[in-house]
Amino acid sequence: MKTKLFSAAAGLGLALAAAAPATAQTPIKFGLCYDLSKAYTFITPQVSQAARDLAALMNLKGGIEGNPIEIVVQDHGNEPQRGIECYEKLKREGVMVFDMLSTPVSRAVLPRVMKDGNILAQSFVGRGDAVDGDVFKWVFPIGPTYWGQAANNMQYIKTRHNNSLKGVKVAFMYIDYPFGQEPIGVLKTIAQREGADLQLFPFPLPGNDQASAWTQVRRFNPDWIIMWAFSNMHVVASREIKRNGISPEKLIVVNWINETDIANIGPEAAKGMKRGVNVFSGPNHPIIQQILKELYDKNKGAGDRKFTNDTYYNNGIAIYSSLFEGVRLAIRNEKLPLTPDKIRKGLESITNFNANGMIAPVTVTAKDHGGGGKTRIEMWDGAKWVPQTDWFAGYLDIVNEVVKEQSAEFLKSNK
Amino acid sequence: MFLRQSGIHHASYSADRALFPIPFDRWAVAVLLAFGLAAPWLVSSLTLSTYLLPWIVWTTAALGLNLILGWAGQFHFGYAAIMGIGAYATVHGTRHGIPFEIAIVLGGLTAAAIGVVFSFTALRVKGLYLALSTLALQFCMDWVISHVPAISGGTQATLQAPPLKILGQGVSSETGYYYLALAWCLLVTVFMLNLKRSSLGRALVAVREKDFAAAVIGVNSFYYKLVAFATSSFIGGVTGAVLIFSFYHAVTPEQFAVNVSIEVLAMVIVGGLASIIGSFFGAAFILLMPGLMNALITWVSARLGLGLSVETLAHLPHAVYGALIIAFLLVEPMGLGKLYNNVRNYLLVWPFGYTRK
Repeated sequence: MKTKLFSAAAGLGLALAAAAPATAQTPIKFGLCYDLSKAYTFITPQVSQAARDLAALMNLKGGIEGNPIEIVVQDHGNEPQRGIECYEKLKREGVMVFDMLSTPVSRAVLPRVMKDGNILAQSFVGRGDAVDGDVFKWVFPIGPTYWGQAANNMQYIKTRHNNSLKGVKVAFMYIDYPFGQEPIGVLKTIAQREGADLQLFPFPLPGNDQASAWTQVRRFNPDWIIMWAFSNMHVVASREIKRNGISPEKLIVVNWINETDIANIGPEAAKGMKRGVNVFSGPNHPIIQQILKELYDKNKGAGDRKFTNDTYYNNGIAIYSSLFEGVRLAIRNEKLPLTPDKIRKGLESITNFNANGMIAPVTVTAKDHGGGGKTRIEMWDGAKWVPQTDWFAGYLDIVNEVVKEQSAEFLKSNK
Repeated sequence: MFLRQSGIHHASYSADRALFPIPFDRWAVAVLLAFGLAAPWLVSSLTLSTYLLPWIVWTTAALGLNLILGWAGQFHFGYAAIMGIGAYATVHGTRHGIPFEIAIVLGGLTAAAIGVVFSFTALRVKGLYLALSTLALQFCMDWVISHVPAISGGTQATLQAPPLKILGQGVSSETGYYYLALAWCLLVTVFMLNLKRSSLGRALVAVREKDFAAAVIGVNSFYYKLVAFATSSFIGGVTGAVLIFSFYHAVTPEQFAVNVSIEVLAMVIVGGLASIIGSFFGAAFILLMPGLMNALITWVSARLGLGLSVETLAHLPHAVYGALIIAFLLVEPMGLGKLYNNVRNYLLVWPFGYTRK
C-alpha cells in the first residue's frame, strides 16, 4: 500500500514537473492466458516471448503513443475452467485485450467475452467464422483463417496445373478432431466446383500412428497432399512419407510446422516440403533484428535467444504488431482513457497494415475482422523456407460463404 | 473437546437415527450452510464466480461418482462422458423450446439411460476390466460427439447454451448461477447423507464388499448394480447440465473429455471413497489447488525477485501439486475425508486419547 501511494505520488510529481498534457501513465495491459504447461507448450513459450519482446521494444521507444505496454502472462494448462478463472481475474485487473491461444479455452471464454464486451484476440487460431464482425463484435482473428489457408492452398495447386484443377488428385490428410476437420467443407466445395479428385485421409489422435492412412494415400497416388497436423505429427508423417515412397515435394502442410519439427525430421529429409504461411519466415526481419540488437545483445530479452529463430516467434510478433497498431489507432482517434469499445474501433480502423512486411497487408473493418485472408506458400530448401508465391487469397467467395453460414449458426444458437 | 457427547441420550428411534446427533456437528453444518447462502455478499465476485461456483458443481459430480465408486464399488472411468450426455441433451432440449426445468430432468434421464446400457458390462466384468469398459464409454461418446455435427453443433463443435430461465424468470447474474448450482449441490448432498442410513445404501455397501455374499443375504446384486449406475448417471447428467448453464454457457466436447473423467476420479480418490465431506475436500483440492498454487508461486517469486521464466512459473505449480497429492495420500491413503475424520475422532474422546486404542 505504502509503495503504491509513494509511486502514485511520485508519478503525480513527475507529471506536474514535466507539465505534460494529462496523459495518465497507466500501462495498457494485454492479458495472455496461455497453456504453458500442457498441450500447447510447443508454441506458447515462443509466442509469449515475442509478445513481451515486442512490448519491451515499443516501451523503449516510448510505448504506444506515450503509454507503456504491460504484458500479463498466466498459465491455464489448457483447462477451460482455469482459462475462465484467468479471464475473470485479469478482467478485474483492468485488462481489456485477451489472448488465449488455445481452442478449448477460447471457446469457453467466448460467451463471457461477448457478454462483457472485451477484446478477444485469436489470430491464426480458434473459430474461423469469428471474422464476421457483425456477429462476433468482440473477437479479432486478424489474419487468415484455416478455411482461407486451405482455399489458398487449392489456389496454389491450381496455378501449378495450368489454372485447372480438373482431375487433379488431392489428398487431405488430417488429425481426426475439430482442428483437422475444419477445412473439409471448404476443400470439398472447391473440389466440386473445379472437378478435382479430393479424398480424405483422417488419422486418429494423438497422431503417433499414421501408418494405415499413409498406405491408403500411396494407393490413391495423389498429385498433392494437404496436411492438417501439428507438432510431432509432422515428424511421424515424414517418416511414413519416406516409407511409402511419396515425394515430400507433394506435401503442403499447415502453418504450424516449425523449426523444431524440421530439426526432428532432419533438414535434408524435409527438403522440398511446402507449407502455407501467414507470416514472414525467419529472423531476417527488421523488427526481429531490432529486438535482437536492442534487447538480446544487451541481455534484456524475455527468454532464450534461440527461440527468436522459430516460426512461432514470428507469429507472436505478427499477432501483437496488429494489436498494438489497433490500440495506437484507438488512442489517436478516440483519445484516452481507453475502453474496450474504443480499442474495438481502433482495431476496426486498421488499414493496409503489414507490420513492415511481417504479414500480408490487412484491412480490418467492422464487418470483416480478418482483414483479407492472404497467405503464401513456402518451400523448405534444406536450410531455410523460401517463398514460392507472393501474398494471395483465392476462392474468397467460398470462404465467405462458409463464414456466413457458420456465424449465422452461432447467431441462431445464441438466441 | 468441541464434540461433546455427554448429555446426548437416544430416547427414540428417530433421535438415534439423526443425521447429526452431536450438537457441534449441527452447528458446524448450520454455519457452513449460512455461509453458503450468504456467500454472494461475503466473498468477492471473482471468488464467487471462478472458485466457489465451479467448486460446488464439481463437488456434486464427485458425489455422483462417489455413489457408484465409493458406495457400490464399481469402477467408472467415463464419468465425464455421462456428464456430457446430460449437458448435450439439456442444451439441445432447451434450444428446441423445452423449458429448462423439464429439459434438465430429461438430460439426467438420457444420461441415466445410456449409463445403464453401458452398466450391463458391469454385470459381466469386475475391477480393472470394468474400468476399461467404462473407459470405452468415454471414447465412444467422444467419438460420437465429434463426428455427429447434429450433436456437436457444426464444424466449430460448439453449442451455445440458451439464456437460463427458471420458472419463466431469466437468470443471468453470478448470484443466480451460484444459487442454481448450490441448490443442486445441496439436494445431492442431502440425498447422499440419507443414502448412508437407508436400505438402498446398505444394499450397495453389501454389493461393494462382496457381491455373492450380498446375494446370500438376500440382496439382489444385479438389481442394485443397475440402480447404482442409473442413479449415479442421473446425478452426473444433471450436474453436467448445471455446469454448462451456470458456468460454461457453451458446450464443447473437450469439456467432457477423458482427462475430465480422470480429474473427477482423482477428486473422489483424493477426497476419500464413500465420504461425503471428502468429496467436497477432493473437489477443492483437485480443482482449485493448481490455480491457487500458481498464484502463490507467482507471488512468492515476485516478492523474492527470483525472475523465473513464464515456463518455470507454469510448471512449478504442477510439480508441487503432484507432490502434495502423493504426500496427502501417504499420510492418509483413505483420503482427505478420512483425515478430517481422524481429527474428529481424536477430538471426540479428547483428552482421553487412550480410549481409541
